[in-house]
Amino acid sequence: MSQVLVITSGKGGVGKTTTTANIGTGLALYKQRKVVMVDADIGLRNLDVVMGLENRIVYDLVDVTHGLCRLKQALIRDKRFENLYLLPAAQTKDKTAVTPEQMEKLCDELRKEFDYVLIDCPAGIEQGFKNAIAGADKAIIVTTPEVSAVRDADRIVGLLEASGFEEPKLLINRIRPDMVKRGDMMSIDDMIDILAIELLGVVPEDEKIVVSTNRGEPAVADESSRAGQAYRNITRRIEGEEVPLMTLEEVEPTFMDKLRMLFGLKNRTAKGDGAKWTF
Amino acid sequence: MALDPVVIKGTRDGITIIIERYGDFERVKNFIYEKLESGKDFFAGGTARVKVKNGFLSDEEYMKLEQLLKNYNMSLKKQPYPRSYIFPEQYRSPILLLKRTIRSGQKISYKGTVVILGDVNPGSEVVACGDILVMGVLRGMAHAGADGDISAIVAAFRLQPTQLRIAGVISRPPEEKQEVPRFPEVARLKDKTIVIEPYYQLNFNSIKRKQEGIK
Repeated sequence: MSQVLVITSGKGGVGKTTTTANIGTGLALYKQRKVVMVDADIGLRNLDVVMGLENRIVYDLVDVTHGLCRLKQALIRDKRFENLYLLPAAQTKDKTAVTPEQMEKLCDELRKEFDYVLIDCPAGIEQGFKNAIAGADKAIIVTTPEVSAVRDADRIVGLLEASGFEEPKLLINRIRPDMVKRGDMMSIDDMIDILAIELLGVVPEDEKIVVSTNRGEPAVADESSRAGQAYRNITRRIEGEEVPLMTLEEVEPTFMDKLRMLFGLKNRTAKGDGAKWTF
Repeated sequence: MALDPVVIKGTRDGITIIIERYGDFERVKNFIYEKLESGKDFFAGGTARVKVKNGFLSDEEYMKLEQLLKNYNMSLKKQPYPRSYIFPEQYRSPILLLKRTIRSGQKISYKGTVVILGDVNPGSEVVACGDILVMGVLRGMAHAGADGDISAIVAAFRLQPTQLRIAGVISRPPEEKQEVPRFPEVARLKDKTIVIEPYYQLNFNSIKRKQEGIK
Protein backbone atom coordinates (compact mmCIF):
# COMPACT_ATOMS: atom_id res chain seq x y z
CA MET A 1 0.00 0.00 0.00
CA SER A 2 1.78 3.11 -1.15
CA GLN A 3 1.68 6.34 0.81
CA VAL A 4 1.83 9.96 -0.22
CA LEU A 5 3.43 12.03 2.55
CA VAL A 6 3.71 15.80 2.50
CA ILE A 7 6.49 17.43 4.51
CA THR A 8 5.38 20.89 5.53
CA SER A 9 5.99 23.58 8.17
CA GLY A 10 4.54 26.98 7.40
CA LYS A 11 7.73 28.77 8.35
CA GLY A 12 10.72 28.66 6.05
CA GLY A 13 14.18 27.43 6.93
CA VAL A 14 13.15 24.86 9.54
CA GLY A 15 14.39 21.91 7.52
CA LYS A 16 11.62 20.65 5.25
CA THR A 17 13.91 19.96 2.33
CA THR A 18 16.59 18.38 4.52
CA THR A 19 13.91 16.22 6.13
CA THR A 20 12.47 15.17 2.77
CA ALA A 21 15.92 14.25 1.48
CA ASN A 22 16.83 12.28 4.60
CA ILE A 23 13.56 10.42 5.00
CA GLY A 24 13.53 9.63 1.28
CA THR A 25 17.08 8.35 1.36
CA GLY A 26 16.47 6.47 4.61
CA LEU A 27 13.43 4.63 3.25
CA ALA A 28 15.26 3.72 0.03
CA LEU A 29 18.59 2.80 1.62
CA TYR A 30 17.58 1.02 4.82
CA LYS A 31 14.13 -0.24 3.97
CA GLN A 32 14.63 -0.96 0.27
CA ARG A 33 11.49 0.95 -0.54
CA LYS A 34 10.88 2.50 -3.91
CA VAL A 35 10.67 6.19 -3.13
CA VAL A 36 10.06 9.33 -5.15
CA MET A 37 10.64 12.80 -3.73
CA VAL A 38 8.60 15.55 -5.34
CA ASP A 39 9.86 19.11 -5.03
CA ALA A 40 6.69 21.22 -4.89
CA ASP A 41 8.61 24.45 -4.30
CA ILE A 42 8.23 25.75 -7.84
CA GLY A 43 10.43 28.75 -8.49
CA LEU A 44 12.67 28.11 -5.48
CA ARG A 45 13.75 24.55 -5.98
CA ASN A 46 16.31 23.15 -3.55
CA LEU A 47 15.74 19.45 -3.17
CA ASP A 48 17.80 18.67 -6.26
CA VAL A 49 20.72 20.62 -4.80
CA VAL A 50 20.47 18.89 -1.43
CA MET A 51 20.43 15.54 -3.21
CA GLY A 52 23.31 16.55 -5.47
CA LEU A 53 21.24 15.95 -8.60
CA GLU A 54 20.98 19.48 -9.96
CA ASN A 55 23.01 18.84 -13.10
CA ARG A 56 20.79 15.94 -14.18
CA ILE A 57 17.56 17.86 -14.53
CA VAL A 58 16.09 17.85 -18.02
CA TYR A 59 12.35 18.01 -17.42
CA ASP A 60 10.49 19.10 -14.30
CA LEU A 61 7.15 18.90 -12.51
CA VAL A 62 5.57 21.70 -14.55
CA ASP A 63 6.61 20.02 -17.81
CA VAL A 64 4.83 16.86 -16.63
CA THR A 65 1.61 18.58 -15.56
CA HIS A 66 1.54 20.54 -18.82
CA GLY A 67 2.06 17.40 -20.85
CA LEU A 68 5.38 18.53 -22.33
CA CYS A 69 6.99 15.23 -21.35
CA ARG A 70 6.10 11.87 -19.92
CA LEU A 71 6.34 11.38 -16.17
CA LYS A 72 9.13 8.82 -16.57
CA GLN A 73 11.23 11.33 -18.51
CA ALA A 74 11.15 13.87 -15.69
CA LEU A 75 12.02 11.41 -12.90
CA ILE A 76 15.69 11.49 -11.96
CA ARG A 77 17.17 8.34 -10.52
CA ASP A 78 19.50 9.03 -7.62
CA LYS A 79 23.18 8.50 -8.33
CA ARG A 80 23.82 6.45 -5.16
CA PHE A 81 20.58 4.79 -4.13
CA GLU A 82 18.85 2.84 -6.83
CA ASN A 83 15.32 2.86 -5.36
CA LEU A 84 15.31 6.61 -4.97
CA TYR A 85 13.89 9.07 -7.48
CA LEU A 86 13.42 12.81 -7.65
CA LEU A 87 10.80 14.81 -9.48
CA PRO A 88 12.32 18.30 -9.54
CA ALA A 89 10.43 21.58 -9.46
CA ALA A 90 10.62 24.14 -12.23
CA GLN A 91 12.89 27.04 -11.40
CA THR A 92 11.74 29.50 -14.05
CA LYS A 93 8.02 29.35 -13.21
CA ASP A 94 6.05 30.12 -10.06
CA LYS A 95 3.48 28.43 -7.84
CA THR A 96 0.58 29.32 -10.12
CA ALA A 97 2.02 27.09 -12.86
CA VAL A 98 0.18 24.08 -11.41
CA THR A 99 -3.21 23.57 -9.78
CA PRO A 100 -4.17 21.35 -6.83
CA GLU A 101 -6.13 19.14 -9.26
CA GLN A 102 -3.04 18.58 -11.39
CA MET A 103 -1.00 17.73 -8.30
CA GLU A 104 -3.64 15.26 -7.17
CA LYS A 105 -3.52 13.55 -10.55
CA LEU A 106 0.26 13.51 -10.50
CA CYS A 107 0.36 11.95 -7.03
CA ASP A 108 -2.09 9.25 -8.07
CA GLU A 109 0.12 8.39 -11.02
CA LEU A 110 3.24 8.24 -8.85
CA ARG A 111 1.40 6.13 -6.30
CA LYS A 112 1.11 3.31 -8.83
CA GLU A 113 4.88 3.13 -9.29
CA PHE A 114 6.28 3.85 -5.84
CA ASP A 115 5.94 2.70 -2.23
CA TYR A 116 6.41 6.22 -0.93
CA VAL A 117 5.75 9.59 -2.53
CA LEU A 118 7.34 12.36 -0.45
CA ILE A 119 6.28 15.90 -1.25
CA ASP A 120 8.56 18.74 -0.21
CA CYS A 121 6.15 21.58 0.51
CA PRO A 122 7.14 25.23 0.06
CA ALA A 123 6.98 27.63 3.01
CA GLY A 124 3.79 29.65 3.41
CA ILE A 125 0.10 28.83 3.30
CA GLU A 126 -0.76 30.03 -0.20
CA GLN A 127 -1.05 28.34 -3.57
CA GLY A 128 2.20 26.38 -3.19
CA PHE A 129 1.02 24.87 0.10
CA LYS A 130 -2.40 24.06 -1.36
CA ASN A 131 -0.74 22.36 -4.33
CA ALA A 132 1.60 20.36 -2.13
CA ILE A 133 -1.10 18.97 0.18
CA ALA A 134 -3.67 18.31 -2.56
CA GLY A 135 -2.58 14.77 -3.37
CA ALA A 136 -1.19 13.74 0.00
CA ASP A 137 -2.64 11.16 2.42
CA LYS A 138 -0.58 12.07 5.46
CA ALA A 139 1.41 15.05 6.65
CA ILE A 140 4.65 15.49 8.56
CA ILE A 141 5.00 18.89 10.16
CA VAL A 142 8.54 20.11 10.73
CA THR A 143 9.25 22.70 13.40
CA THR A 144 12.25 24.05 15.25
CA PRO A 145 12.19 24.98 18.94
CA GLU A 146 11.35 28.61 18.23
CA VAL A 147 8.11 30.33 19.17
CA SER A 148 7.59 31.63 15.62
CA ALA A 149 8.14 28.22 14.03
CA VAL A 150 5.76 26.55 16.50
CA ARG A 151 3.16 29.24 15.87
CA ASP A 152 3.33 28.62 12.14
CA ALA A 153 3.25 24.86 12.67
CA ASP A 154 0.06 25.34 14.69
CA ARG A 155 -1.47 27.31 11.84
CA ILE A 156 -0.54 24.51 9.44
CA VAL A 157 -2.11 21.87 11.71
CA GLY A 158 -5.31 23.93 11.68
CA LEU A 159 -5.28 24.23 7.88
CA LEU A 160 -4.53 20.53 7.46
CA GLU A 161 -7.39 19.60 9.78
CA ALA A 162 -9.68 21.84 7.76
CA SER A 163 -8.59 19.99 4.60
CA GLY A 164 -9.46 16.65 6.15
CA PHE A 165 -6.02 15.42 7.19
CA GLU A 166 -6.17 13.13 10.17
CA GLU A 167 -3.41 13.09 12.74
CA PRO A 168 -0.51 14.93 11.20
CA LYS A 169 2.83 13.93 12.75
CA LEU A 170 5.34 16.28 14.31
CA LEU A 171 9.06 16.35 13.61
CA ILE A 172 11.10 18.61 15.89
CA ASN A 173 14.28 19.71 14.19
CA ARG A 174 17.50 21.36 15.37
CA ILE A 175 16.95 20.90 19.08
CA ARG A 176 19.90 21.60 21.38
CA PRO A 177 19.62 19.57 24.57
CA ASP A 178 22.13 21.78 26.39
CA MET A 179 20.06 24.91 25.69
CA VAL A 180 16.83 23.17 26.69
CA LYS A 181 18.48 22.14 29.93
CA ARG A 182 19.48 25.73 30.64
CA GLY A 183 15.92 26.86 29.94
CA ASP A 184 16.99 28.91 26.92
CA MET A 185 15.12 26.79 24.40
CA MET A 186 11.61 25.35 24.15
CA SER A 187 11.55 21.73 25.22
CA ILE A 188 9.89 18.86 23.37
CA ASP A 189 7.08 18.90 25.95
CA ASP A 190 6.53 22.64 25.51
CA MET A 191 5.98 22.14 21.80
CA ILE A 192 3.76 19.08 22.16
CA ASP A 193 1.69 20.96 24.76
CA ILE A 194 0.81 23.61 22.22
CA LEU A 195 0.54 21.55 19.06
CA ALA A 196 -1.13 18.50 20.63
CA ILE A 197 -0.18 16.14 17.81
CA GLU A 198 1.76 12.91 17.76
CA LEU A 199 5.55 13.14 17.77
CA LEU A 200 7.30 11.38 14.91
CA GLY A 201 10.82 12.21 15.96
CA VAL A 202 13.35 14.69 17.25
CA VAL A 203 16.44 15.67 15.29
CA PRO A 204 19.25 17.30 17.26
CA GLU A 205 21.22 20.25 15.93
CA ASP A 206 24.19 18.88 14.03
CA GLU A 207 26.91 20.71 12.12
CA LYS A 208 27.20 17.76 9.84
CA ILE A 209 23.84 18.63 8.29
CA VAL A 210 25.32 21.83 6.85
CA VAL A 211 28.21 19.87 5.39
CA SER A 212 26.05 17.10 3.98
CA THR A 213 23.54 19.58 2.54
CA ASN A 214 26.31 21.49 0.77
CA ARG A 215 27.85 18.31 -0.54
CA GLY A 216 24.54 16.88 -1.69
CA GLU A 217 24.86 13.78 0.48
CA PRO A 218 21.99 13.16 2.91
CA ALA A 219 23.14 12.79 6.53
CA VAL A 220 20.96 9.73 7.07
CA ALA A 221 23.56 7.66 5.20
CA ASP A 222 26.33 8.93 7.49
CA GLU A 223 26.66 6.46 10.36
CA SER A 224 28.60 8.95 12.48
CA SER A 225 26.03 11.76 12.28
CA ARG A 226 23.64 12.05 15.20
CA ALA A 227 21.09 13.88 13.07
CA GLY A 228 21.51 11.00 10.66
CA GLN A 229 20.74 8.58 13.49
CA ALA A 230 17.62 10.55 14.35
CA TYR A 231 16.50 10.36 10.72
CA ARG A 232 17.18 6.62 10.64
CA ASN A 233 14.89 6.25 13.67
CA ILE A 234 12.24 8.38 12.00
CA THR A 235 12.46 6.23 8.88
CA ARG A 236 11.80 3.14 10.98
CA ARG A 237 8.84 4.81 12.69
CA ILE A 238 7.33 5.69 9.32
CA GLU A 239 7.61 1.99 8.50
CA GLY A 240 5.53 1.29 11.60
CA GLU A 241 8.28 0.16 13.96
CA GLU A 242 8.23 1.21 17.58
CA VAL A 243 11.47 3.06 18.15
CA PRO A 244 12.00 4.92 21.42
CA LEU A 245 13.24 8.49 21.27
CA MET A 246 16.97 9.07 21.38
CA THR A 247 18.30 10.11 24.76
CA LEU A 248 19.14 13.69 24.19
CA GLU A 249 21.10 14.46 27.33
CA GLU A 250 24.78 14.16 26.85
CA VAL A 251 26.21 11.86 29.48
CA GLU A 252 29.65 12.67 30.76
CA PRO A 253 31.96 9.65 30.59
CA THR A 254 32.72 8.30 34.03
CA PHE A 255 36.23 7.96 35.35
CA MET A 256 36.18 4.25 34.63
CA ASP A 257 34.96 4.91 31.07
CA LYS A 258 37.83 7.32 30.54
CA LEU A 259 40.26 4.78 31.90
CA ARG A 260 38.90 2.08 29.67
CA MET A 261 39.03 4.40 26.69
CA LEU A 262 42.62 5.22 27.53
CA PHE A 263 43.56 1.59 27.29
CA GLY A 264 41.42 1.11 24.22
CA LEU A 265 39.16 -1.31 26.07
CA LYS A 266 36.01 0.52 25.18
CA ASN A 267 35.21 1.93 21.80
CA ARG A 268 34.18 5.49 21.93
CA THR A 269 30.66 6.09 20.75
CA ALA A 270 29.96 6.94 17.16
CA LYS A 271 29.95 10.60 17.96
CA GLY A 272 33.38 10.35 19.48
CA ASP A 273 32.93 12.76 22.36
CA GLY A 274 31.73 10.47 25.08
CA ALA A 275 28.08 11.32 24.53
CA LYS A 276 25.70 8.46 25.08
CA TRP A 277 22.93 7.92 22.60
CA THR A 278 20.42 5.22 23.09
CA PHE A 279 18.54 4.00 20.06
CA MET B 1 -54.51 7.78 14.53
CA ALA B 2 -53.20 11.28 14.85
CA LEU B 3 -52.30 12.41 18.32
CA ASP B 4 -54.95 14.54 19.88
CA PRO B 5 -53.51 17.87 20.86
CA VAL B 6 -55.78 18.00 23.91
CA VAL B 7 -56.88 15.48 26.48
CA ILE B 8 -59.66 16.34 28.88
CA LYS B 9 -59.82 14.44 32.13
CA GLY B 10 -62.32 14.59 34.89
CA THR B 11 -60.97 14.86 38.43
CA ARG B 12 -62.48 15.30 41.87
CA ASP B 13 -62.43 19.05 41.71
CA GLY B 14 -63.39 19.71 38.14
CA ILE B 15 -61.72 18.89 34.87
CA THR B 16 -58.14 19.07 33.74
CA ILE B 17 -57.26 20.08 30.21
CA ILE B 18 -53.95 18.62 29.18
CA ILE B 19 -52.49 20.32 26.16
CA GLU B 20 -49.83 18.64 24.07
CA ARG B 21 -48.14 21.59 22.55
CA TYR B 22 -47.01 20.43 19.14
CA GLY B 23 -48.90 22.60 16.72
CA ASP B 24 -50.26 26.10 16.74
CA PHE B 25 -52.65 27.41 19.35
CA GLU B 26 -55.57 27.77 16.95
CA ARG B 27 -55.69 24.00 16.48
CA VAL B 28 -55.62 23.51 20.24
CA LYS B 29 -58.39 26.05 20.72
CA ASN B 30 -60.57 24.51 18.00
CA PHE B 31 -60.14 21.08 19.52
CA ILE B 32 -61.20 22.32 22.96
CA TYR B 33 -64.10 24.15 21.38
CA GLU B 34 -65.33 20.95 19.66
CA LYS B 35 -65.04 18.98 22.89
CA LEU B 36 -66.92 21.57 24.87
CA GLU B 37 -69.55 21.91 22.15
CA SER B 38 -70.20 18.15 22.16
CA GLY B 39 -70.73 18.07 25.91
CA LYS B 40 -72.21 21.50 26.57
CA ASP B 41 -74.43 20.51 29.48
CA PHE B 42 -71.87 18.23 31.02
CA PHE B 43 -69.18 20.85 31.28
CA ALA B 44 -71.30 23.87 32.15
CA GLY B 45 -70.60 25.55 35.44
CA GLY B 46 -67.54 23.59 36.33
CA THR B 47 -64.00 24.61 36.99
CA ALA B 48 -61.02 23.65 34.87
CA ARG B 49 -57.27 23.44 35.22
CA VAL B 50 -54.74 23.61 32.42
CA LYS B 51 -51.59 21.57 32.06
CA VAL B 52 -49.22 22.09 29.18
CA LYS B 53 -46.79 19.51 27.92
CA ASN B 54 -43.88 20.27 25.62
CA GLY B 55 -44.08 24.01 25.91
CA PHE B 56 -46.13 26.75 27.44
CA LEU B 57 -48.97 29.17 26.77
CA SER B 58 -48.34 32.84 26.36
CA ASP B 59 -50.38 35.31 28.42
CA GLU B 60 -52.46 36.12 25.36
CA GLU B 61 -53.20 32.45 24.66
CA TYR B 62 -54.08 31.90 28.29
CA MET B 63 -56.57 34.74 28.16
CA LYS B 64 -58.14 33.37 24.95
CA LEU B 65 -58.58 30.01 26.63
CA GLU B 66 -60.16 31.66 29.66
CA GLN B 67 -62.58 33.52 27.37
CA LEU B 68 -63.48 30.30 25.55
CA LEU B 69 -64.28 28.52 28.80
CA LYS B 70 -66.30 31.48 30.02
CA ASN B 71 -68.66 30.98 27.05
CA TYR B 72 -69.54 27.63 28.59
CA ASN B 73 -69.94 29.04 32.07
CA MET B 74 -66.70 27.50 33.16
CA SER B 75 -64.00 29.17 35.15
CA LEU B 76 -60.29 28.60 34.66
CA LYS B 77 -58.60 27.96 37.93
CA LYS B 78 -55.41 29.95 38.38
CA GLN B 79 -52.50 27.74 39.11
CA PRO B 80 -49.14 28.73 40.49
CA TYR B 81 -47.34 27.70 37.28
CA PRO B 82 -49.86 27.31 34.49
CA ARG B 83 -47.10 27.81 31.97
CA SER B 84 -44.66 25.04 32.54
CA TYR B 85 -41.24 25.93 31.29
CA ILE B 86 -37.88 25.54 32.88
CA PHE B 87 -35.92 28.67 32.02
CA PRO B 88 -37.25 32.18 31.83
CA GLU B 89 -36.89 33.24 28.20
CA GLN B 90 -34.88 36.39 28.77
CA TYR B 91 -32.01 34.52 30.47
CA ARG B 92 -31.64 31.91 27.81
CA SER B 93 -28.47 32.63 25.84
CA PRO B 94 -27.30 30.42 23.01
CA ILE B 95 -24.18 28.38 23.67
CA LEU B 96 -21.59 27.22 21.17
CA LEU B 97 -19.72 24.10 22.26
CA LEU B 98 -16.46 23.35 20.44
CA LYS B 99 -14.74 20.05 21.05
CA ARG B 100 -11.37 20.84 19.50
CA THR B 101 -8.24 22.95 19.80
CA ILE B 102 -8.48 26.42 18.33
CA ARG B 103 -5.24 26.90 16.44
CA SER B 104 -3.21 29.86 15.21
CA GLY B 105 -5.05 31.78 12.49
CA GLN B 106 -8.48 30.44 13.44
CA LYS B 107 -11.21 32.78 14.65
CA ILE B 108 -14.37 31.87 16.50
CA SER B 109 -17.11 34.50 16.56
CA TYR B 110 -20.41 33.83 18.24
CA LYS B 111 -23.29 35.90 19.48
CA GLY B 112 -23.73 33.89 22.65
CA THR B 113 -21.56 32.00 25.11
CA VAL B 114 -18.63 29.97 23.82
CA VAL B 115 -17.44 26.82 25.57
CA ILE B 116 -14.27 25.19 24.27
CA LEU B 117 -13.25 21.67 25.24
CA GLY B 118 -9.64 22.04 24.17
CA ASP B 119 -6.91 24.64 24.03
CA VAL B 120 -7.01 28.09 22.49
CA ASN B 121 -3.56 28.47 20.98
CA PRO B 122 -1.57 31.67 20.47
CA GLY B 123 -2.43 33.44 17.23
CA SER B 124 -6.11 32.49 17.44
CA GLU B 125 -9.12 34.59 18.42
CA VAL B 126 -12.31 33.81 20.28
CA VAL B 127 -14.95 36.53 20.19
CA ALA B 128 -18.26 36.03 22.00
CA CYS B 129 -21.14 38.31 22.91
CA GLY B 130 -21.56 36.27 26.06
CA ASP B 131 -19.04 34.50 28.28
CA ILE B 132 -16.05 32.44 27.21
CA LEU B 133 -15.18 29.23 28.98
CA VAL B 134 -12.08 27.30 27.98
CA MET B 135 -11.70 23.79 29.38
CA GLY B 136 -8.01 23.82 28.52
CA VAL B 137 -5.23 26.36 28.14
CA LEU B 138 -6.21 29.79 26.85
CA ARG B 139 -3.11 31.18 25.13
CA GLY B 140 -4.73 33.20 22.34
CA MET B 141 -6.90 36.31 22.33
CA ALA B 142 -10.30 36.17 23.98
CA HIS B 143 -13.01 38.83 23.78
CA ALA B 144 -16.08 38.27 25.95
CA GLY B 145 -19.12 40.54 25.95
CA ALA B 146 -18.13 41.72 22.49
CA ASP B 147 -21.35 43.70 22.01
CA GLY B 148 -20.89 45.57 25.26
CA ASP B 149 -22.00 43.21 28.03
CA ILE B 150 -19.79 44.33 30.92
CA SER B 151 -20.93 41.40 33.06
CA ALA B 152 -19.31 38.89 30.69
CA ILE B 153 -16.49 36.71 32.01
CA VAL B 154 -13.60 34.75 30.56
CA ALA B 155 -12.84 31.54 32.45
CA ALA B 156 -10.13 29.07 31.62
CA PHE B 157 -8.58 25.97 33.08
CA ARG B 158 -5.26 27.75 32.52
CA LEU B 159 -5.58 31.44 31.76
CA GLN B 160 -2.50 32.56 29.81
CA PRO B 161 -3.94 34.77 27.06
CA THR B 162 -1.95 36.99 24.70
CA GLN B 163 -4.67 39.55 25.25
CA LEU B 164 -7.98 39.73 27.06
CA ARG B 165 -10.93 41.89 26.14
CA ILE B 166 -14.19 42.23 28.01
CA ALA B 167 -16.79 44.55 26.47
CA GLY B 168 -14.75 47.63 25.53
CA VAL B 169 -11.82 47.04 27.89
CA ILE B 170 -8.55 45.62 26.61
CA SER B 171 -5.79 44.25 28.81
CA ARG B 172 -2.65 42.23 28.33
CA PRO B 173 -0.54 40.24 30.74
CA PRO B 174 2.49 41.98 32.28
CA GLU B 175 5.62 42.06 30.10
CA GLU B 176 7.93 40.62 32.71
CA LYS B 177 7.99 36.86 32.89
CA GLN B 178 6.17 35.52 35.89
CA GLU B 179 5.14 32.22 37.36
CA VAL B 180 1.99 30.99 35.66
CA PRO B 181 -0.70 29.83 38.08
CA ARG B 182 -1.52 26.15 37.90
CA PHE B 183 -5.22 26.48 38.69
CA PRO B 184 -8.33 27.67 36.88
CA GLU B 185 -8.93 31.39 36.79
CA VAL B 186 -11.71 33.76 35.87
CA ALA B 187 -11.38 37.23 34.36
CA ARG B 188 -14.10 39.81 34.70
CA LEU B 189 -14.68 43.53 34.79
CA LYS B 190 -14.46 45.40 38.06
CA ASP B 191 -14.73 49.17 37.86
CA LYS B 192 -13.72 49.29 34.20
CA THR B 193 -10.60 47.17 34.70
CA ILE B 194 -10.17 43.50 34.00
CA VAL B 195 -9.37 41.55 37.14
CA ILE B 196 -8.29 37.92 37.24
CA GLU B 197 -9.22 35.77 40.19
CA PRO B 198 -8.66 32.14 41.07
CA TYR B 199 -11.79 30.18 40.24
CA TYR B 200 -12.06 28.68 43.73
CA GLN B 201 -12.03 32.11 45.38
CA LEU B 202 -14.75 33.38 43.17
CA ASN B 203 -17.98 34.49 44.73
CA PHE B 204 -20.49 33.68 42.03
CA ASN B 205 -23.32 35.29 43.98
CA SER B 206 -21.69 38.65 43.57
CA ILE B 207 -21.40 38.08 39.83
CA LYS B 208 -25.02 37.01 39.67
CA ARG B 209 -26.16 40.07 41.59
CA LYS B 210 -24.21 42.21 39.22
CA GLN B 211 -25.80 40.59 36.19
CA GLU B 212 -29.29 40.97 37.58
CA GLY B 213 -28.58 44.57 38.37
CA ILE B 214 -27.75 45.21 34.77
CA LYS B 215 -30.76 43.46 33.35
